[in-house]
Amino acid sequence: MKKGTRKIIRTGTIITIAALLGITLYLNLRDGTQTVNVGDEAVDFKLETLSGEEIQLSQITDEKGVILNFWGTWCKPCREEMPDMNQVYNEGHEDYEIIAVNVSENNQQIEQFLSGLSENLDYPIALDKNRSVTKAYNIGPLPTTIAINKEGTVVKKQEYQLTKEDIYTFIDESLE
Amino acid sequence: MELKEIKCNHCGHINPPGTQLCQSCGKMINEDYDKKKIKDLMRYDGSAVRSKVRSQSIFDKIWNFFTSIKIGVTIIALIAIAAAIGTILPQEYFIPVGVDPLQHYTEQYGTFGTLYYKLGFTQLYSSWWFVLLMGMLALSLIAASVDRGVPLYKSLKNQRAKKHDSFFKRQRVFNEYDTSVNPDDIAKSFTAKKYKLKQDGNNYLFEKGRLSRWGPYINHTGLIILLAGSMLRFFPGVYVDELIYAQEGETVSIPTTEGKYYVKNEGFTLDTYDEDSGTVFDQSLQNNQAMTISNFQTDITMYENKSADIVGSSPDLEEVDDYSIRVNHPYRFDDYELYQSSYDNSQMKSMTFRLEDSEGNVIGDNFEVSLDDPKDSYNITDDVTINMKAYSPDFLEIDENGTLVSETPVPTNPAFVFEVSTGDKNELSLLQIMNSTDITQDNEYSIKFVEAEEHMASVLTLKKDLSMPIIATGFVIFLIGLFIGSYINHRRIWINADGDTMKIAAHTNKNYFGLKKEMNAVLKTHHLAQVYDKQEKEENDKLKG
Repeated sequence: MKKGTRKIIRTGTIITIAALLGITLYLNLRDGTQTVNVGDEAVDFKLETLSGEEIQLSQITDEKGVILNFWGTWCKPCREEMPDMNQVYNEGHEDYEIIAVNVSENNQQIEQFLSGLSENLDYPIALDKNRSVTKAYNIGPLPTTIAINKEGTVVKKQEYQLTKEDIYTFIDESLE
Repeated sequence: MELKEIKCNHCGHINPPGTQLCQSCGKMINEDYDKKKIKDLMRYDGSAVRSKVRSQSIFDKIWNFFTSIKIGVTIIALIAIAAAIGTILPQEYFIPVGVDPLQHYTEQYGTFGTLYYKLGFTQLYSSWWFVLLMGMLALSLIAASVDRGVPLYKSLKNQRAKKHDSFFKRQRVFNEYDTSVNPDDIAKSFTAKKYKLKQDGNNYLFEKGRLSRWGPYINHTGLIILLAGSMLRFFPGVYVDELIYAQEGETVSIPTTEGKYYVKNEGFTLDTYDEDSGTVFDQSLQNNQAMTISNFQTDITMYENKSADIVGSSPDLEEVDDYSIRVNHPYRFDDYELYQSSYDNSQMKSMTFRLEDSEGNVIGDNFEVSLDDPKDSYNITDDVTINMKAYSPDFLEIDENGTLVSETPVPTNPAFVFEVSTGDKNELSLLQIMNSTDITQDNEYSIKFVEAEEHMASVLTLKKDLSMPIIATGFVIFLIGLFIGSYINHRRIWINADGDTMKIAAHTNKNYFGLKKEMNAVLKTHHLAQVYDKQEKEENDKLKG
C-alpha cells in the first residue's frame, strides 16, 4: 500500500469513528433533556379556550408577543400569580397576549377554581385536554411561564411563581 | 532511527521495513527473529505488522496505539467488566415508571445505589463512557485488522515457489530425501488432493484453504457492522420502545408517529383458567394462590390522522384497522409493533352515592358521579335534586373562600360538597370517602357512599427497531468468519528438488495432525519416509523428562 493510501485510511477511519461517536453521544445526551429552552423555536399549537374559541399560537405571534402560562387548579402558586397577571393584563395588552394553558383538567374543576379567585380573569384560558401541548413543550413543574416573541422564538422561561415584576419582565422580553 | 525498506540479500525482493521473513523467498531478514520464537515463526508470514514501523502524525500515533493487541484486549475486558457490574442492580427501565431514578436507587440501595446511578450503570448501554468504549473497540478492530491483514495479504500474494534453504529448515514439518523419485509425480498426487500448484523449475508450492487466513478479518467486519447497527439505535426514528397507556374507550395518539396514528382501546379482557374444567390441570390451578391468567387482550381500533398536524388541534381521524392484541400477538403497522404489556385499574373512574333521610330510609335512585368530568346536578326523584357545589379529586383543605383545595389532580382522595335541594329547602354537606360533615345545621338528609368504580386501562408497548436487520447481518457475517477461521486449514507444502536431494517442508495455520496425515499418505504411495515434526519431537523429549 502506498503512503498516501495509508494516510487516507488511517485519517479517514479515525475521523469517521470520532464523528460517529460524537453524533451518537450528542443524540444520546439530547434525548433526556428535550425541553423547550430559551432560544428554541416555539412549537405551534391550536387549542380550544374555555369560552369555546379556537386559538393558534402562530396567528397571535404574527402581531403580538405571547406569554404562555401553564397552570393547574391544584397548584397553589398558580392561584396566587393569576390575579396579578390579570391586573397587569388590564393595564393594556395591545401588543402582547397572555394564554393560560390549563393542563388536562375538566371544565367543572376549572370553573370552580376561577370562581374561587379574587378577580375574574380577562385573558384566554386554553384547554390542553390530552396534554399534547404540555408534552410538546415538555413542561415539568407548574406553573411554568414562557415568553415568545413575534419571530416565534422562546425568549424567557420560568418554572416557579411569578411576581408582578416578573410579569412585566416577561412582557418586555416578548416585545423585544 | 528512520527505518528503511529492506532488500533481501538472497532473492533481491524489496521488503517493507520491519519485515522478519522475506515476502518472496522466506529467508530470514531479522537474524534474531527465530532466537526466541519457534512456534509463531510464521505468524502473519513474518511480514511487518505495519504499525510497528514508524509514527509521525497525531493520527499515526492514535492509530498505532489502537493496533496493539494488548489495548484491544484491555478494551474488551473493560466492556465485559462494565457489563457485569451493570447486572448487579436492575437497569433503569426495570424500575417503576414515573419515579425519580436517583431517589429510587438511593432509597433502595443506599450510597452504592447513588454512586451506581451517578456513574451511569443504571443505563449502561447508553452511558457516555460505555458508548465511548464501543467506539474505541471499533477503532481497535479496524486498526488491528488493517495493519495485520494488509501485510498478510501481500505476503501471501507475493510468495513464490522457490524458497531459501534456511526457510525449509525452519519449518516445523520437514524432511530431506536422497531419492530419484520424480517430484512431478508427487506434485500430481498433491494436486489430486485439491492443492493448487505454483511451480518454478524444480521448486514447487502446493497451497489450499488460504480463505482460512481471512476468517478473523471477516468476523471483525461482522463485528463492525454489528456495532454500527447498535449505534444506529441512538439515531432518531430508528429505535422506539415506549409505553402507551389507554383507558377503555380512550383514543390516544401513538408517540413518535408525529400525530399520524391514533389508537383506541375498545375494551380490555382478562381471562382466567377455570379451576373446575375437569382437565388434568385442575389440581395445579387450585394449588396456585392467585388466579391463573389465560389471556390478556386489548381490542383496538387504529386511526390515521387526515388533518394537518398542529399540536393540540383535534385530529381528523379515519379508521384504518381493527385488531385484538394478545400476548405474543402484537398489532403490526408500518415498522411498528404494538404489544400487550400490562393493565392498570388503580385509577378511580366514578363513585356512586345514595340519599338517606334522618330515619335511614333510602330516597330515590342511587347517583353516580364521574370523577373525570362530573355533572353539576343529579335528579334523585321528581322533587329532590342533588347539586354538586364543589369537588376536589385529592382533598387537602377548604380554602378561605369556601372552595375545596386539591393536592394533586389525580382522584385518589375525592371530596365533594353536595347540596340536597327539595324545592323549598337546601342542605349542604361535605363528603369525603371516609367521613362526611354537615355544613348547614340540623340536616335532615345524609348522602352515603355506595361504591366506586375504577378505570380499566391497558398498557401497550410500542416497538420499532430498524437496526435489527443490520445487527442480524453483522452477526451472520461474524459467525461465517468464525467458521472459516476455525474449520478451514490453510496448508502449504514446499518442495525443492534443485540439488541432489529433495527437500520437503510444510506449514499450516492449524491442525498439523491433519496436514501430516495427508502428506504421509501421499509420501507413502511414493515409498518415501514420513515427514519429521520438530514440535512432536520436543514434546516427546519433554515427556521423557
